[in-house]
Amino acid sequence: MDLETLLSYEWSLMGPEFIIVIASVILTLLDLFLPKKFNRRMLGWFAFVAVLAAIVSLLGLLDNQVGSILHDTFRLDSFAKAFKLLLLVGSALVLLLAIDYEPKEGLTEYRGEFFYLFLTGLLGAMIMSSSGDLITLFVGLELLSISSYILAGLRKKNLKSNESAMKYVINGSISTAITLFGMSYLYGITGSTNLNEMSGMLRTLTDPQYTYLLGLAFFMIFVGLAFKLASVPFHMWAPDVYEGAPTPVTAFLSVVSKIAGFVILIRIMVSIFSSIPVGDGTIPMLFDLQDFIGFLAAVTMILGNVVALRQRNIKRLFAYSSIAHAGYILVAFTAMSYVMFDSIWFYMLAYVFMNLGAFAIIQLITEKEGSEDIGHFAGLYRRSPILAVTMAVFILSLAGIPGTAGFIGKLNIFLGALMVSPSHYVLASIMIATTVVSYFYYFGIMTQMFFRPAAEETKLKLPAGTNAVIIICAVATILLGVMPQLAFDFLQTNFNQFMDFMG
Amino acid sequence: MENAWLIPLFPLLSFLALLLFGKRLKEASAYVGILLTLASLVFSVIVLVGRLTGATYKLEADWLQIGDLQLTVGFEVNQLNALMLVIVSLVSFLVHTYSKGYMHGDQRFPVFYAYLGLFTFAMLGLVLSPNLLQTYIFWELVGVGSFLLIGFYFNKESAKAAAKKAFIMTRIGDVGLFIGMILLFWQTGSFEYDEIFASVHAGEVSGTMITLTAILIFIGAVGKSGQFPLHTWLPDAMEGPTPVSALIHAATMVAAGVYLVATMFPLFAASETAMSTVAIVGAVTAIFAATIGLTQTDIKRVLAYSTVSQLGYMMLALGAAGYAAGVFHLMTHAFFKALLFLAAGSVIHAVHTQDIEKMGGLWKKLSFTAPLFLIGTLAISGVPLFSGFFSKDEILIAAWANGNYILFWLAVIAAFFTAFYMFRLFFMVFSGKARSEMKNVHESPVSMTGPMIVLGILAVVSGYVNTPWFGTFLGDWLVEGNEALGHGHIEGPAWIMIVATVVSLAGIYLAYLMYSKRSISRDWFTSRAPTLYSIVVNKYFIDEIYQTTIVYATKAISLFLRFIEMFLVNGLVQLVTGIVRGLGKTGAKLQNGQIQTYGTVAFLGLAVLLLIFALTGGYLNG
Repeated sequence: MDLETLLSYEWSLMGPEFIIVIASVILTLLDLFLPKKFNRRMLGWFAFVAVLAAIVSLLGLLDNQVGSILHDTFRLDSFAKAFKLLLLVGSALVLLLAIDYEPKEGLTEYRGEFFYLFLTGLLGAMIMSSSGDLITLFVGLELLSISSYILAGLRKKNLKSNESAMKYVINGSISTAITLFGMSYLYGITGSTNLNEMSGMLRTLTDPQYTYLLGLAFFMIFVGLAFKLASVPFHMWAPDVYEGAPTPVTAFLSVVSKIAGFVILIRIMVSIFSSIPVGDGTIPMLFDLQDFIGFLAAVTMILGNVVALRQRNIKRLFAYSSIAHAGYILVAFTAMSYVMFDSIWFYMLAYVFMNLGAFAIIQLITEKEGSEDIGHFAGLYRRSPILAVTMAVFILSLAGIPGTAGFIGKLNIFLGALMVSPSHYVLASIMIATTVVSYFYYFGIMTQMFFRPAAEETKLKLPAGTNAVIIICAVATILLGVMPQLAFDFLQTNFNQFMDFMG
Repeated sequence: MENAWLIPLFPLLSFLALLLFGKRLKEASAYVGILLTLASLVFSVIVLVGRLTGATYKLEADWLQIGDLQLTVGFEVNQLNALMLVIVSLVSFLVHTYSKGYMHGDQRFPVFYAYLGLFTFAMLGLVLSPNLLQTYIFWELVGVGSFLLIGFYFNKESAKAAAKKAFIMTRIGDVGLFIGMILLFWQTGSFEYDEIFASVHAGEVSGTMITLTAILIFIGAVGKSGQFPLHTWLPDAMEGPTPVSALIHAATMVAAGVYLVATMFPLFAASETAMSTVAIVGAVTAIFAATIGLTQTDIKRVLAYSTVSQLGYMMLALGAAGYAAGVFHLMTHAFFKALLFLAAGSVIHAVHTQDIEKMGGLWKKLSFTAPLFLIGTLAISGVPLFSGFFSKDEILIAAWANGNYILFWLAVIAAFFTAFYMFRLFFMVFSGKARSEMKNVHESPVSMTGPMIVLGILAVVSGYVNTPWFGTFLGDWLVEGNEALGHGHIEGPAWIMIVATVVSLAGIYLAYLMYSKRSISRDWFTSRAPTLYSIVVNKYFIDEIYQTTIVYATKAISLFLRFIEMFLVNGLVQLVTGIVRGLGKTGAKLQNGQIQTYGTVAFLGLAVLLLIFALTGGYLNG
């Protein structure tokens, strides 16, 4: 490749990524050379501004036609834009939380590391959403994973944090191995790593032996990626890692990393496995295997919600709750209705706000109390009515009570599962049933906040960043619940129903 | 009527204002709440007057587009809505006023008013909704509001439990409503009431589907209206402050179930089975709750069971095609039951106990409350000339005219029980000798007696809007222009009115003999049928049955899953890792076998998937 071709690429498509790369390089250097006394929180604000700049640059690209550079390894289509936006918004909010994070044993020495590792993790997720090639997809996945491993263990002197990072690395490696193994089948059969080429080649595939091997690949990739989604059967790491990791990292894992997981899942599954004809060649493999995904979605919902009932630790509880939410999104993925992209996108948007809002308050309380027991939420209404009411909004939304974004998200998925034919009414019923189960633990927190006397009456100090997150999330959660059309209009005008996903 | 959408917004404003400034306003919060609900009331009355002369008004706007689906929001003012608006806003306004005295001195006074505002907002929003989805949204919000209000005295463990129970019990019903709603949407392609009814009328929905959806929606109503077998939350919900009971458990939330069935009446009417189900559940609930009411000794619990029983009457009326009768009873009941609750609150306020065994001789001491309580008791007992008499009579006629003779007689017997236990309550509280420990008994302040007087007047006169003697204005107006709702008034044999009067008076007389004159021993019945008595006094052991079945089942499932996750899988793995560990003796704390478990689970999962895939996919043969 000569310089001329290199320069002829439309590099502007990668604008948001470049901003993040440059920012993380600058942060690394600054952290290295700035004197110890310098407050590393400033670096956090720098990272925050970089993410905002990336959002602005991405918004500037919204009108662009679908484009790809670097031999179709990087493509910017509607799907990439829409989900990148979610990743960036989620990250911006998590950064605000991270700036205010101050665990008991202190984080002064490593705070700088936190921010640039965070940005590289985000970069990995963004690359994943824009990949048109298995290689770049995998590189993005690993960039995200490796950054998150270190982030989880950032509280070096905290035993739990160490344990969490350790478990995360080991499980992550296993999942990577499985995913890669599955991908190697794909490469072996098609001889290509480019998603478009592979899908074109697989369309004409007729040999049932190959189809069977592709089926194996499907399951290996799915199970491997289930790690990122924290869904069955690769869900067990989540509670331990979520509990031990620093709270902003937990928030990052449960929101940004999970979105990235779904992004790569959809990217691979829809572009490759919906092209493989099975049986008499009329239905694609992805539809043929729906029952398997549906089964895993069901088990994920049941397990996440039922085991959550017994948790006393708020972060573990949210780990199980996030497993359950992955199950709900998998229902939409199973149904593959024509509103699948819209409903998954909307659900994640809602999830970004309601979950990060809840984590903001969790961080505030656990940090203050030095423990993560649910009991510390007791009497929150007396200590700070605003916090209690906003937390109630987030919890109601997570539980899917009408009037909140969470309800619209669930309703979309629900209608989507019923509007396809044959309709997935069993899955839809399990979704309702498990939602009802989730009321028990969500309302357990509500009972704590509103109906229990506080152990102490001290007021809670609200740092500016956390405050902003709470307000933004609460407003968005209610706004999207009352006027969801805002988000759907945005989708309609800018992404044209994701028509350009395949071409 | 164009401005009807403002009505729910006033209480919402009150909620938001008190949330933000409640702490500073302290007890002045009451004025914010009272004034804003007064505004709602004024608007509601204007709307009702407008609807009396005008036509139905409906306004809608696009809300959400999912694919090709277009969902709308808006509001509608028809006869039923207009009437409900006035009932809800009036009772809410009176309860707001009453609470100023009742809750005086409570530390969380502003919070209480904030919750009241939220609840009233949700209830008014529910009433205005022109489609099922919007109804469902407010339906859930009403649930949230009542959750907060019932659990208001949170330092009482029982109040907390009651709040949770109420929320989850009604939620079981809500699942039915939700599924019914989605099924209807699936069949008719719309959430709009008119469109649903139109396609049901046009025969586009199969008969089975109509029955199924109607019954599912009815399950939602059963939960909210405390009908058998989901009634157990309602008596427990008496743990909430008494004004709350008057608001939620007399006039609004529990009536929402009846309101829902009334709104969906054309759907129900299209299915014989659904109608009989509603009628039977209603009649069974009416008699069932009335028998429990006979044995309770807590003043509010007696009223709670009587509410359950009266709601059963309304359901019976609707199920027996007596649309007008059901709605009529909903209205009169809202007034006299709210009155009874407020009066009971006034008694509790004066004597600081809820146990009627400890009360007595309060007639002279509570010179306002006692006569007002008597008016409420007479109305609910169906004594002629009081409102309850006319509405109950309409229900009995509807049941008779519909040919449900068994249900009719059940309702008559329930009427006898009602008269008996209500007067038992009255005599035990107000007659007899005053207890020595009740020395400092004072009548409640004007803010409390005022609302009671208003309700007292309504409990007497509200019956006269629909009587066989002076004309059935309400019934005729309610069904005007809508044939699906049946007749506004059903002619029935004259003897029904006489029977109703006789059983009611007989019940009162028996109560008089047993509890006031005491010429019949109170233990006459208990000593003769101790087993039966113990069953009834324990509320037929319904709670216990739930406890042993549902609650334990959930716990068992959760334990079971944990067992699998923690022990079974862990055990398998430990077998393997045990060897490894024994060899390496790695004492590292991190390697406690758990990480291996996680990896193993993933591998096992993958293996199982692949195995099933290989077996079912048929690829092996190809």
